[in-house]
Amino acid sequence: MIELRLGVFLFWLIPAALCAQTPDFSGVYYPINPFGANALGRGAAKSQQAPAAGKQKGPPPRPTQSAPLADGSQGRSPDAPSLTPEYMAKWEVIRKSRMAGSSEFDNTAKCLPPGMPAMMTMAYGMEVMQNKDKITFFSELNDALRRVYLDGRKPTQKILDDPTYAGYSTGHWEGDTLVVDTVALHENSFIEGFSPHSDAMTVKERIRFQSPGLLEDRITVTDPKALTKPWDTVKTYRKATRGTDELREFACPEGLSDAK
Amino acid sequence: MRTQMIALSAVLAASLFHATEVLAHHSNVAFEVTKVVTIAGVVKAFEWRNPHTWVILTIDDGKGGKVDWAVEGRAPGVLLRAGWTRNSLQPGDMITVDMSPAKDGSKTGLVARVIKADGTILPNAGPAQQ
Repeated sequence: MIELRLGVFLFWLIPAALCAQTPDFSGVYYPINPFGANALGRGAAKSQQAPAAGKQKGPPPRPTQSAPLADGSQGRSPDAPSLTPEYMAKWEVIRKSRMAGSSEFDNTAKCLPPGMPAMMTMAYGMEVMQNKDKITFFSELNDALRRVYLDGRKPTQKILDDPTYAGYSTGHWEGDTLVVDTVALHENSFIEGFSPHSDAMTVKERIRFQSPGLLEDRITVTDPKALTKPWDTVKTYRKATRGTDELREFACPEGLSDAK
Repeated sequence: MRTQMIALSAVLAASLFHATEVLAHHSNVAFEVTKVVTIAGVVKAFEWRNPHTWVILTIDDGKGGKVDWAVEGRAPGVLLRAGWTRNSLQPGDMITVDMSPAKDGSKTGLVARVIKADGTILPNAGPAQQ
């Protein structure tokens, strides 16, 4: 009888102990400062802090910006990826196009996926779906998703020969941290903003809860052709609460037919 | 505000002979996002669709006539979280729009916020997006 009770106890204890080592990231999240703390400017930030749709007394502060300034007219941030001369030249071409108001190099405007690692900005919100073998990150912006395989599989040559926007991601747990490697990324996307990269780019991530409900993704991008040194960035996301925990369908091509 | 309205009137006068813009989908780079001007008029249509919403409004052209502007807004998902719905704007509503003008001088803009006649503010993003 005692052995039976011990067996039942261990039956519950062992899975519980395993679960305790692998946090559950499932849920909807919104990014904190997705475009940097000062991207919108002081006035716009103030206006965004106003309560959502409602009547206010007195004249409300007028926004000073409608969107982050991202056409290249402000130059490169000191935090931007350090590009090799060849890729800096490509960046300058794209910059001129964007400053002129063209969407030629804007994948988002063409309803294309943002790709890795740019998609982890998750400007419009992110939904994480997780089980023991796979974790899926969904971006409301452009209905983009990526899958991270956790079951020990590795990218085959067939996978490596077929690069995509999101690439091919495999991961494993190191304590409470999910460590993810992404390969098989093609050139038709950007590292962040509109910094170009080569097909040799790889991305390493360490994802964990900084504190309950506050998810952190520490990203390291390596590209021997496009970068003079690996580029590091950290994205943080706050878990949504009831009322804002449903993302909406994006259906970008609704407006694509008359895109220009 | 007055200076901006005068400047905008000059832009309007210069572009009067252009046909009304079709609802072409733009990237944010098509607009002077760090400038915000204010226009006021009557809602002609409100298009609730991805990837960007559209407000078509008719405003005085400063010469005794009327002119239509097509102002591009953020995606329905973003606006829902900011308190909008697909019925927030109805044809005939008087509204004031703070918007960033297009770089090409066309009668389009990028919404910074909309204020309805009863004072209701429809902002560009909700608290969850900060």
